[in-house]
Amino acid sequence: MTKNTLNPIFSSYDKIQSLYDEIFDENSDVREVYKKLFELYSGLSIDDYGNLNEMAKASFFNQGITFQVYSDTKAQEKIFPFDLFPRIIDHDEWDTIEKGVLQRSKALNLFLHDVYHDKKIIKDGIVPIEMISSSSNYLQSMMDIDPPGGIYNHISGTDLIKHSDGKYYVLEDNIRCPSGVSYVMCNRGALKKALFGVFNHYDIHSVTDYAENLLEILESVKPHGVDVPTAVVITPGIYNSAYYEHSYLAKTIGIELVEGRDLFVENDFVYMKTILGSKRVDIIYRRIDDTFLDPLEFKQDSAIGVPGLFAAYKKGNVTIVNAPGTGVADDKAIYTYMPEIIRYYLGEEPILNNVHTYHCSKEDDLKYVLENVNELVVKPVDEAGGYGISIGNRLTKEEIETLKETIKKEPRKYIAQPIMSLSVHATYIEDTNSFEQRHVDLRTFTLLGNQKDFVLRGGLTRVALKKGNLIVNSSQGGGSKDTWILKK
Amino acid sequence: MIYDYTIKYRSENHYETPVFEAYWQFLVTPENNETQELISENITTSVNARIESSINGLGFNTSRIHCKKPFKDIIFEVTFKLTKKEINPFDFTPSLDNALDYKLLESLLFRVEFEAYLKQTKLTTLPNLPEELFLFDKRESVFQNCLNLTHWIFDYVTFTTGVTTTETTLNTIIQNKKGVCQDFTHLMCAIARRNKVPARYVSGYLHQGNGFFGDSQMHAWVELYIPKVGWVGFDCTNNLLANHNHIKVAHGKDYDDCPPLKGIVYSSGNNFTKYTVEVTHQQ
Repeated sequence: MTKNTLNPIFSSYDKIQSLYDEIFDENSDVREVYKKLFELYSGLSIDDYGNLNEMAKASFFNQGITFQVYSDTKAQEKIFPFDLFPRIIDHDEWDTIEKGVLQRSKALNLFLHDVYHDKKIIKDGIVPIEMISSSSNYLQSMMDIDPPGGIYNHISGTDLIKHSDGKYYVLEDNIRCPSGVSYVMCNRGALKKALFGVFNHYDIHSVTDYAENLLEILESVKPHGVDVPTAVVITPGIYNSAYYEHSYLAKTIGIELVEGRDLFVENDFVYMKTILGSKRVDIIYRRIDDTFLDPLEFKQDSAIGVPGLFAAYKKGNVTIVNAPGTGVADDKAIYTYMPEIIRYYLGEEPILNNVHTYHCSKEDDLKYVLENVNELVVKPVDEAGGYGISIGNRLTKEEIETLKETIKKEPRKYIAQPIMSLSVHATYIEDTNSFEQRHVDLRTFTLLGNQKDFVLRGGLTRVALKKGNLIVNSSQGGGSKDTWILKK
Repeated sequence: MIYDYTIKYRSENHYETPVFEAYWQFLVTPENNETQELISENITTSVNARIESSINGLGFNTSRIHCKKPFKDIIFEVTFKLTKKEINPFDFTPSLDNALDYKLLESLLFRVEFEAYLKQTKLTTLPNLPEELFLFDKRESVFQNCLNLTHWIFDYVTFTTGVTTTETTLNTIIQNKKGVCQDFTHLMCAIARRNKVPARYVSGYLHQGNGFFGDSQMHAWVELYIPKVGWVGFDCTNNLLANHNHIKVAHGKDYDDCPPLKGIVYSSGNNFTKYTVEVTHQQ
């Protein structure tokens, strides 16, 4: 460990050499892109910084930018902890990420079209049939439906990390209802208020254009025969953990936020109840899960859906974004076939790396996993939000034995990956009133439309706030940073 | 020979407390296929609500009612007129190469093609048993095995009303060996799929007056995919092949894909429901 004395606010920064530090290189010199920021911060004491941090926090509370955490007993409203020290990504590095995530989204879209039509990739033996036949997210009722514009995953959230080798790896592709984009925009706003002088010295891509691009993408996939489409955001309601985001998106896109009970279906068209009477709805950006969309088609006890919605969709009278059934490709087991999926549909080499994955459904892999649990991360294939993840080297002997038994019972449910060491970034820690290294990842947002695509030049850098913790999800106590993409 | 059928489906619901809003979706309209043709359909309800025709997720025709005024009773009645052709279910060229047929069932292309009807669902999952209930004899044709399975199910389960519901799993059915047509059908689907034969659950009507089991309500039987022949209907509740007495409405992976009525009712308190089916024909 070495002490860094370059800057007063970094005087107590401990740098662990084995981890990739986003700010300091192996000689503990500040990396090129951060140099300017360091100069600007050199006048600040750690107490000044603490004050700024308090102000930024207050602004989040005052705006009601919160989310809910579910636990066994009760739900709690929290602010998403925000760190004022931004993450900076240089344009060359970003170029690769942008091309890479777009490539993945396009390949996943083609994959989805294929598994809901000819299933060629399975017939050709590239992806095993079990990936669809045992996936609870594969919807038979989506078979042979042609969604408007041919798009299934209009919105993708790709999670990336930088490993100790300095390379980016994709951890997962979220194509059901990826959340977090509202924090990207709010973080930028908060940072601009707190550190207004800094932005004059950096040429950074804006993130506010996300909303207008999303609207264009939504309207590009309007149903056939509609001139001026009406789009809405549908939310499960105020108790949903991401309700703030739903309302923020509706507001910034400039479309209505609705709940299931605000919509109804008549003669296979969808209408919204307004004080001026009913109004036809053409595009639904849904933030509710597939099986809750329509109680007449899926879960009959869903109180948040719209009866008859699926029939309207099947008849092509409304567009649902993302399409129902996209979850089949968001499965962590499908992730492991991504390199093959990209080559198969696009005839290109994957631009971004995949983490090597062991499928417990395969005998050899299962054997390896059971023998090396302590060196692996074990994940259930169908849980989102970081639930159910076990990190081998953090477990006690008894916990390892229990985990092995759990895997043996249902091997198909688990995959395992080598423990990736996420890169670290200087993060202000309130408890110690100092900067410390914390693990970070990056969620990017990609939009696919009819003859149009868009990658948000920015992203959500999520920080694991507990020392040494590798899980960065907000529901697991993570925070976030503003993420700057430098212009060329 | 052509049969002219008249089918009456009537459902009555009574609610203890008023219902303020409700949706009903009926899946009771016979499909059109090579052996049957729907001539007319006449739907009425006792409440003042529009009747819309639509489709379900698998594309079968549904009738939907959205009722926005409070009510305590609702009657839904529909009359279909339909023609059905006489069919000889044995009218196909028997396969001569059994080995080739079984090989086809194993092939990846075949398994991908019929993936939906080869997988287990909640209602067609066989419990873990010390030995297989029914294994196909590979020396005989796929069709013959399916026929044998039909006989086996008919002998294994005793037709008994009132002991099972539409949510009863195979575990219970195998324990009690009693049930009605959907239980027979679920068991047959499960065993056929276990033997790699695609199986789908069929919902429909059965010609009354012949003393068939399950003719007083909507009936269920199985369609199995026989290599080089196609989908063939097997009615294991009555130990026969589906013929001109069987009028098909819809199919799916199991009962959950084709219940005759799905209702979303915003109300509290109990409700009482009953429905009747009448199937008559003139030659």
